[in-house]
Amino acid sequence: MKGFFRFIYELIGTPQPPSETPVYREVIFPNVGLLTIGLSLAMVLIFYYLINRALGVATFNKVRHWVIFLVVNAVLAFVIGIWQTNAQEVASHSYIYWMATWNAILGLFWFFLFSVLLKRGSTNASTTPF
Amino acid sequence: MHLTRSFRLLPALTVGLLLAGCYSRSDMKGEKATAPAASTETAAPDENATTPAPTADATNNSAPATAAAGPLAQVNVFLEVSGSMEGFMPKTGADAANTRFQQHVAQFLSEVNRSSAARKTYFRIKEKPYRDSYQQLSQTVRSGIQQPASSTDIPTVLDTLVSGYYATNTVSVLISDFIYSPKNAGAIPYISTDITDALNRTQRPDLAISVYGYTSDFRGAYYPALNTGVRKISACCDTPIPYYFWVIGPADAVRRFDAALLERQPGQQAHFGVKYPTPASSLLSRFQNVGAWYYGEKDASKRAAGASYHTVAVSSISAKEPVEFVVGMDLKTLPALYRDLNYLKTSLNIQAQDTDAKIVSVFAANEQTKNSSGEESKYTHFVKVHVTKLGKAARPLQLVLRNQRPAWVAQWTTKNDSNINQTGTKTFALSSLMDGVQAVTATEQTPTPVFIIPLTLQPAD
Repeated sequence: MKGFFRFIYELIGTPQPPSETPVYREVIFPNVGLLTIGLSLAMVLIFYYLINRALGVATFNKVRHWVIFLVVNAVLAFVIGIWQTNAQEVASHSYIYWMATWNAILGLFWFFLFSVLLKRGSTNASTTPF
Repeated sequence: MHLTRSFRLLPALTVGLLLAGCYSRSDMKGEKATAPAASTETAAPDENATTPAPTADATNNSAPATAAAGPLAQVNVFLEVSGSMEGFMPKTGADAANTRFQQHVAQFLSEVNRSSAARKTYFRIKEKPYRDSYQQLSQTVRSGIQQPASSTDIPTVLDTLVSGYYATNTVSVLISDFIYSPKNAGAIPYISTDITDALNRTQRPDLAISVYGYTSDFRGAYYPALNTGVRKISACCDTPIPYYFWVIGPADAVRRFDAALLERQPGQQAHFGVKYPTPASSLLSRFQNVGAWYYGEKDASKRAAGASYHTVAVSSISAKEPVEFVVGMDLKTLPALYRDLNYLKTSLNIQAQDTDAKIVSVFAANEQTKNSSGEESKYTHFVKVHVTKLGKAARPLQLVLRNQRPAWVAQWTTKNDSNINQTGTKTFALSSLMDGVQAVTATEQTPTPVFIIPLTLQPAD
């Protein structure tokens, strides 16, 4: 698991400053990764199963509504990155923002992935985004 | 509570009884005629125990090792009172001016007397030790020697101390000018051998000696060791004269005595055979760190409070992108000599394989590091290491503080003290005395290091 998160987060390069590497690899990457996956899954479930199935809302199933969720998910993923690095008191470095940005992009990806996997279970939005 | 206290007193009592036995040992050359009577006379009556001398060694060696903690069992202070010491302790004149020796030694005796050691004994050394009370010895220091001995033979004195007053948890402090005058010029090359033989006669395996050098003004007759020229320089001296404290005993006891009583009067010092616990140390990844490296320990990410790290994991390194790491060391537990930056700079070395690691600087804590919120605030000294290449796998890297002869020994040594006012603050053949001590306390050719801090240098995974 740690190896998986280390792989996807080090696609943008090794953590900086190097002295913080153990904290990033052992704590921050797994935390941020799991939280972001959980967040994306929750957002997908809310969009497809809460709003567009359980609540039966009929006017929130267009692509633009899905994009609102997608963007909100990305922003929250960015915030998770900043929050976790601050919580671990790593040395300040621009890498923190690169990592958070990368996490926002990964949030987009997870949201898209879960959407494709789970949209069929929704009554009102089973064809959103396509 | 009552019980434990009386148990604690037991070793002291035992040593006391044994000493009374050791006391009348006549293992010194040429003392048969006068000595034994005089020695028992000054000893306190309850110490005229009947413990036979031969059992002394056996019991001393089997004394409980548990006594290693807590205060020392016994401290013996020996003050040399031969004629050559008179200049340090001139009889108080009308101006009531004293010498630095008098000031210092009187204060030291007082500190010993107040110390936590279970038992303190005081001796004047003439041709053999004579028991004094604290008050008597302190009075001798303050108001001068009443009946100076003609001369004292240093090897004989050392032999007596090591054979008769050596016990677990006990130290002997010898205060003297350590001017060793061999019988004739032909004996001079053998000074170090004489010292070695004297200290080695009883073959104490953990014998340790700390030597402290001080200087004092000197008002009296100076007796040069080398008496080929003048036998005596009257109304000496224009230059300060060195005197020494030799702390002799088992390694552990000497270390603890040094730390308790001589820490605040460092003077010049040299230590032989004293073993020190490895000081606390850690790599500091957030203090003057350069290049791509991090703690290689598995649990480094936990950053537990008080954790220390000794593995450098290097993720990229080249001549253009060198790695520099700082190791913090807490040298508070070591004597002042080993905390001295000049000593550390010359004696601290790296032992490593497949790397060009070298020490670029050694520095002490300053206000900035002490007040820092980082880990560096815990350490008193720092070593910065510069690396540009390393092996393909983990390799040990050791920071070794070698036990070198401090420079002052050579500076305080003279081969001819017959014109001491010109020679300056020096002692005849001091280096040779130290050579002799070193030969006894070091088992190999190179003395054991003061400490070794083991580190690991490895490529990052």
